[in-house]
Amino acid sequence: MKQQLWPLPFALLALAGCDSLPRDASETTERMARSGEMRIVVMPATPDAATALALLGDYAKRHDARLTRVSAHGEHALRWLEEGKLDAVVGHFAKASPWQVEVALSKPVGRSEPDDAKQPVLRIARRNGENAFILATDRSIAEMTK
Amino acid sequence: MSLHGGIPTAIADDVRHGERLEWWTLGWMASVVLVMGLVMGSSQAMKAAVIEDVLSLVPAIVFLLSTHWERKQPDPRFPFGYRRANSLAFLVAATALLSVGGFLAYESVTTLVRQEHPTVGGVTLFGHTIWLGWLMIAALAYSVVPPMILGHLKHPIATRIRDKVLHTDALMQKADWQTGLAGIGGIIGIGLGWWWADAAAALFISLSIIKDAIGALEKAVAELLDGTPRTLDSNALSEDGEHLTAALRARFGDVEIRLRETGRYIVAEVDRAAPSVIPTAAELMGKTLAWRLASLTFRPQ
Repeated sequence: MKQQLWPLPFALLALAGCDSLPRDASETTERMARSGEMRIVVMPATPDAATALALLGDYAKRHDARLTRVSAHGEHALRWLEEGKLDAVVGHFAKASPWQVEVALSKPVGRSEPDDAKQPVLRIARRNGENAFILATDRSIAEMTK
Repeated sequence: MSLHGGIPTAIADDVRHGERLEWWTLGWMASVVLVMGLVMGSSQAMKAAVIEDVLSLVPAIVFLLSTHWERKQPDPRFPFGYRRANSLAFLVAATALLSVGGFLAYESVTTLVRQEHPTVGGVTLFGHTIWLGWLMIAALAYSVVPPMILGHLKHPIATRIRDKVLHTDALMQKADWQTGLAGIGGIIGIGLGWWWADAAAALFISLSIIKDAIGALEKAVAELLDGTPRTLDSNALSEDGEHLTAALRARFGDVEIRLRETGRYIVAEVDRAAPSVIPTAAELMGKTLAWRLASLTFRPQ
Protein backbone atom coordinates (compact mmCIF):
# COMPACT_ATOMS: atom_id res chain seq x y z
CA MET A 1 0.00 0.00 0.00
CA LYS A 2 2.90 2.34 0.87
CA GLN A 3 4.06 2.31 -2.76
CA GLN A 4 0.62 3.51 -3.83
CA LEU A 5 0.77 6.56 -1.51
CA TRP A 6 3.46 8.52 -3.31
CA PRO A 7 0.98 10.68 -5.30
CA LEU A 8 -0.67 11.87 -2.05
CA PRO A 9 1.71 14.76 -1.19
CA PHE A 10 1.52 15.99 -4.79
CA ALA A 11 -2.27 15.79 -4.78
CA LEU A 12 -2.31 17.79 -1.51
CA LEU A 13 0.01 20.44 -2.93
CA ALA A 14 -2.19 20.72 -6.01
CA LEU A 15 -5.26 21.09 -3.81
CA ALA A 16 -3.52 23.65 -1.56
CA GLY A 17 -3.07 25.84 -4.61
CA CYS A 18 -6.72 25.47 -5.48
CA ASP A 19 -8.83 28.41 -4.36
CA SER A 20 -12.05 26.57 -5.04
CA LEU A 21 -11.82 24.57 -1.80
CA PRO A 22 -13.98 24.17 0.13
CA ARG A 23 -17.15 23.73 -1.86
CA ASP A 24 -20.76 23.48 -0.67
CA ALA A 25 -22.04 19.91 -0.27
CA SER A 26 -25.54 20.92 -1.44
CA GLU A 27 -24.42 23.69 -3.83
CA THR A 28 -25.93 26.61 -1.89
CA THR A 29 -23.63 29.13 -3.60
CA GLU A 30 -24.24 27.71 -7.08
CA ARG A 31 -28.00 27.69 -6.51
CA MET A 32 -27.80 31.29 -5.28
CA ALA A 33 -25.98 32.31 -8.46
CA ARG A 34 -28.45 30.41 -10.66
CA SER A 35 -31.62 31.70 -9.04
CA GLY A 36 -30.30 35.19 -8.19
CA GLU A 37 -31.60 35.00 -4.60
CA MET A 38 -30.33 34.17 -1.14
CA ARG A 39 -33.27 32.99 0.98
CA ILE A 40 -32.99 34.21 4.54
CA VAL A 41 -35.09 34.49 7.67
CA VAL A 42 -34.57 37.17 10.30
CA MET A 43 -35.85 35.85 13.63
CA PRO A 44 -38.32 38.07 15.49
CA ALA A 45 -36.79 40.38 18.12
CA THR A 46 -33.46 40.81 16.34
CA PRO A 47 -33.12 44.61 16.32
CA ASP A 48 -29.39 44.50 15.46
CA ALA A 49 -29.84 42.26 12.37
CA ALA A 50 -28.63 45.00 9.98
CA THR A 51 -24.90 44.16 10.31
CA ALA A 52 -25.52 40.49 9.59
CA LEU A 53 -27.80 41.37 6.67
CA ALA A 54 -25.14 43.68 5.20
CA LEU A 55 -22.60 40.88 5.41
CA LEU A 56 -24.94 38.37 3.75
CA GLY A 57 -25.92 40.97 1.16
CA ASP A 58 -22.24 41.39 0.18
CA TYR A 59 -21.88 37.65 -0.35
CA ALA A 60 -25.10 37.50 -2.38
CA LYS A 61 -23.94 40.46 -4.49
CA ARG A 62 -20.62 38.75 -5.26
CA HIS A 63 -22.68 35.94 -6.79
CA ASP A 64 -25.11 38.17 -8.68
CA ALA A 65 -27.89 37.50 -6.18
CA ARG A 66 -29.92 39.52 -3.70
CA LEU A 67 -31.42 38.81 -0.31
CA THR A 68 -34.94 37.43 -0.28
CA ARG A 69 -36.56 37.54 3.13
CA VAL A 70 -38.85 34.63 3.98
CA SER A 71 -41.28 34.68 6.91
CA ALA A 72 -40.91 31.83 9.35
CA HIS A 73 -41.04 31.49 13.10
CA GLY A 74 -38.52 30.06 15.55
CA GLU A 75 -37.92 26.38 15.08
CA HIS A 76 -39.72 26.31 11.70
CA ALA A 77 -36.98 28.55 10.30
CA LEU A 78 -34.17 26.35 11.62
CA ARG A 79 -35.92 23.19 10.42
CA TRP A 80 -36.30 24.74 6.94
CA LEU A 81 -32.62 25.68 7.01
CA GLU A 82 -31.71 22.10 7.87
CA GLU A 83 -33.88 20.86 4.98
CA GLY A 84 -32.31 23.29 2.51
CA LYS A 85 -35.42 25.44 2.05
CA LEU A 86 -33.44 28.44 3.39
CA ASP A 87 -29.82 29.58 2.99
CA ALA A 88 -29.33 31.43 6.28
CA VAL A 89 -31.15 32.44 9.48
CA VAL A 90 -30.20 35.63 11.32
CA GLY A 91 -31.03 35.75 15.01
CA HIS A 92 -29.83 35.64 18.59
CA PHE A 93 -28.37 32.28 19.50
CA ALA A 94 -26.28 31.08 22.42
CA LYS A 95 -22.99 29.29 21.77
CA ALA A 96 -24.45 26.32 23.68
CA SER A 97 -27.70 26.38 21.68
CA PRO A 98 -29.36 22.97 21.29
CA TRP A 99 -29.36 23.70 17.52
CA GLN A 100 -25.56 23.89 17.31
CA VAL A 101 -25.31 20.33 15.92
CA GLU A 102 -28.22 20.62 13.46
CA VAL A 103 -27.04 23.89 11.89
CA ALA A 104 -23.69 25.72 11.61
CA LEU A 105 -23.83 28.70 13.97
CA SER A 106 -21.36 31.47 13.22
CA LYS A 107 -19.25 33.35 15.77
CA PRO A 108 -21.00 36.46 17.19
CA VAL A 109 -21.46 39.15 14.53
CA GLY A 110 -19.79 42.48 15.38
CA ARG A 111 -18.69 41.52 18.88
CA SER A 112 -16.51 39.03 20.72
CA GLU A 113 -17.73 35.73 22.17
CA PRO A 114 -19.46 36.32 25.53
CA ASP A 115 -18.05 34.51 28.58
CA ASP A 116 -21.41 32.91 29.26
CA ALA A 117 -22.00 30.21 26.62
CA LYS A 118 -25.75 30.40 27.35
CA GLN A 119 -26.05 34.11 26.49
CA PRO A 120 -27.77 34.59 23.12
CA VAL A 121 -26.02 37.05 20.78
CA LEU A 122 -26.38 37.95 17.10
CA ARG A 123 -25.21 35.04 14.92
CA ILE A 124 -25.87 33.67 11.46
CA ALA A 125 -27.11 30.08 11.24
CA ARG A 126 -26.10 28.28 8.05
CA ARG A 127 -26.90 24.86 6.65
CA ASN A 128 -24.41 22.16 7.71
CA GLY A 129 -21.94 21.10 5.03
CA GLU A 130 -22.20 24.31 2.96
CA ASN A 131 -18.53 24.92 3.66
CA ALA A 132 -17.78 27.52 0.98
CA PHE A 133 -20.62 29.73 2.23
CA ILE A 134 -19.70 29.01 5.87
CA LEU A 135 -16.01 29.89 5.35
CA ALA A 136 -16.90 33.09 3.44
CA THR A 137 -19.24 34.29 6.20
CA ASP A 138 -16.71 33.28 8.89
CA ARG A 139 -14.10 35.42 7.09
CA SER A 140 -16.42 38.43 6.84
CA ILE A 141 -17.37 38.17 10.53
CA ALA A 142 -13.67 37.95 11.51
CA GLU A 143 -12.92 41.05 9.39
CA MET A 144 -15.82 42.89 11.02
CA THR A 145 -14.66 41.98 14.55
CA LYS A 146 -11.15 43.36 13.79
CA MET B 1 15.28 -16.16 35.73
CA SER B 2 13.54 -19.11 37.41
CA LEU B 3 11.36 -21.93 36.04
CA HIS B 4 8.16 -19.89 35.97
CA GLY B 5 9.35 -16.30 36.23
CA GLY B 6 11.62 -13.79 34.53
CA ILE B 7 12.57 -13.16 30.93
CA PRO B 8 15.14 -15.49 29.28
CA THR B 9 18.52 -13.91 28.52
CA ALA B 10 18.20 -14.88 24.83
CA ILE B 11 15.34 -12.42 24.31
CA ALA B 12 15.98 -9.94 27.15
CA ASP B 13 17.48 -7.27 24.83
CA ASP B 14 14.63 -7.57 22.32
CA VAL B 15 12.01 -7.34 25.08
CA ARG B 16 13.71 -4.19 26.43
CA HIS B 17 13.79 -2.77 22.89
CA GLY B 18 10.06 -3.54 22.59
CA GLU B 19 9.42 -1.76 25.89
CA ARG B 20 11.37 1.31 24.75
CA LEU B 21 9.32 1.40 21.54
CA GLU B 22 6.11 1.22 23.59
CA TRP B 23 7.22 4.18 25.75
CA TRP B 24 7.96 6.08 22.53
CA THR B 25 4.50 5.04 21.27
CA LEU B 26 2.82 6.46 24.37
CA GLY B 27 4.72 9.76 24.02
CA TRP B 28 4.18 10.19 20.29
CA MET B 29 0.55 9.10 20.32
CA ALA B 30 -0.18 11.45 23.24
CA SER B 31 1.23 14.30 21.12
CA VAL B 32 -0.93 13.14 18.18
CA VAL B 33 -4.05 13.15 20.39
CA LEU B 34 -3.16 16.67 21.60
CA VAL B 35 -2.62 18.06 18.08
CA MET B 36 -5.80 16.42 16.76
CA GLY B 37 -7.79 17.68 19.76
CA LEU B 38 -6.64 21.24 19.04
CA VAL B 39 -7.95 21.25 15.47
CA MET B 40 -10.93 18.90 15.62
CA GLY B 41 -13.50 21.70 15.88
CA SER B 42 -17.00 20.28 15.57
CA SER B 43 -16.03 17.61 13.03
CA GLN B 44 -17.42 14.21 14.01
CA ALA B 45 -14.85 12.50 11.78
CA MET B 46 -11.99 14.16 13.63
CA LYS B 47 -13.59 13.35 16.99
CA ALA B 48 -13.79 9.70 15.94
CA ALA B 49 -10.10 9.83 14.89
CA VAL B 50 -9.12 11.24 18.31
CA ILE B 51 -11.11 8.54 20.17
CA GLU B 52 -9.50 5.93 17.95
CA ASP B 53 -6.03 7.30 18.77
CA VAL B 54 -6.78 7.20 22.52
CA LEU B 55 -7.98 3.57 22.25
CA SER B 56 -4.86 2.71 20.28
CA LEU B 57 -2.78 3.35 23.42
CA VAL B 58 -4.30 0.26 25.09
CA PRO B 59 -2.04 -2.41 23.48
CA ALA B 60 1.09 -0.38 24.32
CA ILE B 61 -0.01 -0.01 27.95
CA VAL B 62 -0.93 -3.69 28.38
CA PHE B 63 2.37 -4.78 26.77
CA LEU B 64 4.32 -2.75 29.35
CA LEU B 65 2.18 -4.17 32.16
CA SER B 66 2.55 -7.74 30.93
CA THR B 67 6.38 -7.58 30.69
CA HIS B 68 6.46 -6.08 34.19
CA TRP B 69 4.42 -9.05 35.48
CA GLU B 70 6.42 -11.53 33.42
CA ARG B 71 9.56 -10.52 35.34
CA LYS B 72 7.92 -11.24 38.71
CA GLN B 73 8.95 -14.45 40.38
CA PRO B 74 6.42 -17.10 41.44
CA ASP B 75 5.11 -16.89 44.98
CA PRO B 76 2.91 -19.14 47.15
CA ARG B 77 -0.24 -17.48 45.78
CA PHE B 78 0.90 -17.82 42.14
CA PRO B 79 3.28 -20.82 42.06
CA PHE B 80 3.31 -20.88 38.24
CA GLY B 81 4.38 -17.24 38.07
CA TYR B 82 2.77 -14.44 36.13
CA ARG B 83 3.76 -15.30 32.59
CA ARG B 84 0.18 -15.80 31.56
CA ALA B 85 -0.33 -12.05 32.09
CA ASN B 86 0.89 -11.84 28.49
CA SER B 87 -2.04 -14.02 27.34
CA LEU B 88 -4.47 -11.83 29.25
CA ALA B 89 -2.83 -8.69 27.80
CA PHE B 90 -3.22 -10.21 24.35
CA LEU B 91 -6.97 -10.61 24.91
CA VAL B 92 -7.23 -6.98 26.09
CA ALA B 93 -5.19 -5.70 23.10
CA ALA B 94 -7.29 -7.72 20.63
CA THR B 95 -10.48 -6.40 22.24
CA ALA B 96 -9.16 -2.82 21.96
CA LEU B 97 -8.41 -3.38 18.27
CA LEU B 98 -11.92 -4.76 17.74
CA SER B 99 -13.38 -1.75 19.60
CA VAL B 100 -11.51 0.65 17.30
CA GLY B 101 -12.75 -1.16 14.19
CA GLY B 102 -16.30 -1.45 15.54
CA PHE B 103 -16.43 2.18 16.63
CA LEU B 104 -15.14 3.39 13.27
CA ALA B 105 -17.65 1.20 11.39
CA TYR B 106 -20.54 2.42 13.60
CA GLU B 107 -19.59 6.09 13.15
CA SER B 108 -19.27 5.67 9.37
CA VAL B 109 -22.53 3.78 8.90
CA THR B 110 -24.41 6.28 11.11
CA THR B 111 -23.04 9.21 9.08
CA LEU B 112 -23.97 7.55 5.79
CA VAL B 113 -27.47 6.52 6.93
CA ARG B 114 -28.28 9.91 8.46
CA GLN B 115 -26.65 11.66 5.48
CA GLU B 116 -24.89 14.02 7.87
CA HIS B 117 -23.14 16.84 6.02
CA PRO B 118 -19.97 17.64 7.96
CA THR B 119 -19.29 21.32 8.58
CA VAL B 120 -15.70 22.51 8.42
CA GLY B 121 -15.61 26.29 8.58
CA GLY B 122 -12.92 28.91 9.08
CA VAL B 123 -10.43 29.48 11.87
CA THR B 124 -8.69 32.80 12.49
CA LEU B 125 -4.93 32.54 13.03
CA PHE B 126 -2.63 35.57 13.27
CA GLY B 127 -5.34 37.79 11.80
CA HIS B 128 -6.08 35.53 8.81
CA THR B 129 -9.13 33.32 8.52
CA ILE B 130 -8.25 30.07 6.77
CA TRP B 131 -10.22 26.89 6.11
CA LEU B 132 -9.97 24.65 9.20
CA GLY B 133 -9.73 21.68 6.80
CA TRP B 134 -6.10 22.60 5.99
CA LEU B 135 -5.16 22.45 9.68
CA MET B 136 -7.01 19.15 10.04
CA ILE B 137 -5.10 17.71 7.07
CA ALA B 138 -1.80 18.89 8.60
CA ALA B 139 -2.73 17.29 11.96
CA LEU B 140 -3.80 14.05 10.27
CA ALA B 141 -0.58 13.97 8.22
CA TYR B 142 1.36 14.29 11.50
CA SER B 143 -0.77 11.50 13.01
CA VAL B 144 0.25 9.14 10.19
CA VAL B 145 4.05 9.39 10.63
CA PRO B 146 4.72 8.03 14.18
CA PRO B 147 2.54 4.89 13.89
CA MET B 148 3.93 4.10 10.45
CA ILE B 149 7.53 4.17 11.76
CA LEU B 150 6.82 2.56 15.15
CA GLY B 151 4.66 -0.22 13.66
CA HIS B 152 7.42 -0.98 11.16
CA LEU B 153 10.00 -1.22 13.98
CA LYS B 154 7.80 -3.35 16.27
CA HIS B 155 6.90 -6.05 13.79
CA PRO B 156 10.32 -7.82 13.54
CA ILE B 157 10.79 -7.65 17.34
CA ALA B 158 7.33 -9.14 17.94
CA THR B 159 8.28 -12.00 15.59
CA ARG B 160 11.61 -12.67 17.33
CA ILE B 161 10.20 -12.67 20.87
CA ARG B 162 6.94 -14.38 19.75
CA ASP B 163 4.92 -11.65 21.42
CA LYS B 164 1.31 -11.49 20.28
CA VAL B 165 0.61 -8.31 22.26
CA LEU B 166 3.40 -6.43 20.49
CA HIS B 167 2.25 -7.93 17.20
CA THR B 168 -1.34 -6.75 17.86
CA ASP B 169 0.08 -3.34 18.72
CA ALA B 170 1.86 -3.27 15.34
CA LEU B 171 -1.54 -4.03 13.78
CA MET B 172 -3.05 -1.19 15.81
CA GLN B 173 -0.39 1.17 14.46
CA LYS B 174 -1.29 0.03 10.95
CA ALA B 175 -4.93 0.81 11.78
CA ASP B 176 -3.82 4.25 13.05
CA TRP B 177 -1.93 5.33 9.95
CA GLN B 178 -4.53 3.89 7.60
CA THR B 179 -7.27 5.76 9.47
CA GLY B 180 -5.16 8.92 9.29
CA LEU B 181 -4.84 8.60 5.52
CA ALA B 182 -8.56 7.85 5.22
CA GLY B 183 -9.18 10.98 7.32
CA ILE B 184 -7.07 13.11 4.95
CA GLY B 185 -9.04 11.70 2.02
CA GLY B 186 -12.23 12.44 3.92
CA ILE B 187 -11.34 16.08 4.66
CA ILE B 188 -10.37 16.63 1.01
CA GLY B 189 -13.68 14.99 0.09
CA ILE B 190 -15.54 17.39 2.41
CA GLY B 191 -13.66 20.26 0.73
CA LEU B 192 -14.84 19.03 -2.65
CA GLY B 193 -18.42 18.89 -1.40
CA TRP B 194 -18.53 15.08 -1.17
CA TRP B 195 -20.08 14.73 2.28
CA TRP B 196 -19.99 10.90 2.07
CA ALA B 197 -16.28 10.57 1.22
CA ASP B 198 -15.01 10.68 4.80
CA ALA B 199 -17.46 8.06 6.09
CA ALA B 200 -17.03 5.78 3.07
CA ALA B 201 -13.21 5.78 3.40
CA ALA B 202 -13.44 5.14 7.16
CA LEU B 203 -15.92 2.28 6.64
CA PHE B 204 -13.58 0.62 4.15
CA ILE B 205 -10.64 0.84 6.59
CA SER B 206 -12.77 -0.32 9.54
CA LEU B 207 -13.58 -3.61 7.80
CA SER B 208 -9.88 -4.43 7.48
CA ILE B 209 -9.32 -3.50 11.16
CA ILE B 210 -12.24 -5.72 12.26
CA LYS B 211 -10.85 -8.63 10.21
CA ASP B 212 -7.42 -8.31 11.92
CA ALA B 213 -9.08 -7.93 15.34
CA ILE B 214 -11.26 -11.04 14.95
CA GLY B 215 -8.17 -13.05 13.95
CA ALA B 216 -6.33 -11.77 17.03
CA LEU B 217 -9.32 -12.52 19.30
CA GLU B 218 -9.55 -16.10 18.01
CA LYS B 219 -5.89 -16.63 18.91
CA ALA B 220 -6.26 -14.93 22.31
CA VAL B 221 -9.20 -17.15 23.24
CA ALA B 222 -7.37 -20.25 21.95
CA GLU B 223 -4.38 -19.35 24.16
CA LEU B 224 -6.53 -18.84 27.26
CA LEU B 225 -8.30 -22.16 26.60
CA ASP B 226 -4.93 -23.96 26.45
CA GLY B 227 -5.14 -24.43 22.69
CA THR B 228 -2.12 -25.61 20.67
CA PRO B 229 0.29 -22.69 20.02
CA ARG B 230 -0.74 -20.50 17.06
CA THR B 231 1.37 -18.40 14.70
CA LEU B 232 1.59 -14.61 15.20
CA ASP B 233 -0.18 -13.58 12.03
CA SER B 234 -2.84 -16.25 11.56
CA ASN B 235 -4.84 -18.87 13.46
CA ALA B 236 -2.69 -21.67 11.98
CA LEU B 237 -0.65 -23.88 14.33
CA SER B 238 2.77 -22.41 15.03
CA GLU B 239 5.84 -23.84 13.30
CA ASP B 240 7.71 -23.88 16.63
CA GLY B 241 5.00 -26.12 18.10
CA GLU B 242 4.99 -28.45 15.12
CA HIS B 243 8.78 -28.64 15.21
CA LEU B 244 8.66 -29.54 18.92
CA THR B 245 6.02 -32.24 18.36
CA ALA B 246 8.13 -33.75 15.58
CA ALA B 247 11.27 -33.70 17.79
CA LEU B 248 9.40 -35.38 20.67
CA ARG B 249 7.88 -38.04 18.37
CA ALA B 250 11.32 -38.73 16.89
CA ARG B 251 12.58 -39.56 20.39
CA PHE B 252 9.59 -41.21 21.99
CA GLY B 253 7.68 -42.72 19.08
CA ASP B 254 4.04 -42.25 18.21
CA VAL B 255 2.82 -41.03 21.59
CA GLU B 256 0.12 -38.48 22.44
CA ILE B 257 1.67 -35.01 22.77
CA ARG B 258 -0.17 -31.94 24.02
CA LEU B 259 1.20 -28.42 23.69
CA ARG B 260 -0.16 -25.18 25.08
CA GLU B 261 1.09 -21.64 25.37
CA THR B 262 1.58 -19.50 28.47
CA GLY B 263 2.29 -16.08 27.08
CA ARG B 264 5.24 -16.56 24.75
CA TYR B 265 6.30 -19.90 26.30
CA ILE B 266 5.35 -23.43 25.25
CA VAL B 267 4.38 -26.08 27.77
CA ALA B 268 4.54 -29.68 26.54
CA GLU B 269 2.98 -32.82 27.96
CA VAL B 270 3.98 -36.28 26.71
CA ASP B 271 1.76 -39.30 27.39
CA ARG B 272 4.39 -41.74 28.60
CA ALA B 273 6.52 -42.41 31.63
CA ALA B 274 9.56 -40.17 32.09
CA PRO B 275 12.61 -41.50 30.21
CA SER B 276 15.88 -42.08 32.03
CA VAL B 277 17.48 -39.19 30.11
CA ILE B 278 15.31 -36.14 29.60
CA PRO B 279 16.26 -34.13 26.50
CA THR B 280 17.23 -30.49 26.94
CA ALA B 281 15.22 -27.61 25.50
CA ALA B 282 18.07 -26.86 23.07
CA GLU B 283 17.98 -30.44 21.79
CA LEU B 284 14.26 -30.24 21.15
CA MET B 285 13.83 -26.64 19.96
CA GLY B 286 17.29 -25.74 18.65
CA LYS B 287 19.65 -23.30 20.37
CA THR B 288 17.97 -20.07 19.25
CA LEU B 289 14.47 -21.04 20.35
CA ALA B 290 15.33 -23.12 23.43
CA TRP B 291 13.92 -20.32 25.64
CA ARG B 292 10.42 -21.01 24.29
CA LEU B 293 10.08 -24.39 25.96
CA ALA B 294 9.10 -23.54 29.52
CA SER B 295 8.37 -27.07 30.75
CA LEU B 296 8.18 -30.65 29.56
CA THR B 297 6.03 -33.10 31.53
CA PHE B 298 5.73 -36.88 31.27
CA ARG B 299 2.67 -38.71 32.55
CA PRO B 300 3.00 -41.82 34.65
CA GLN B 301 1.22 -44.84 33.10
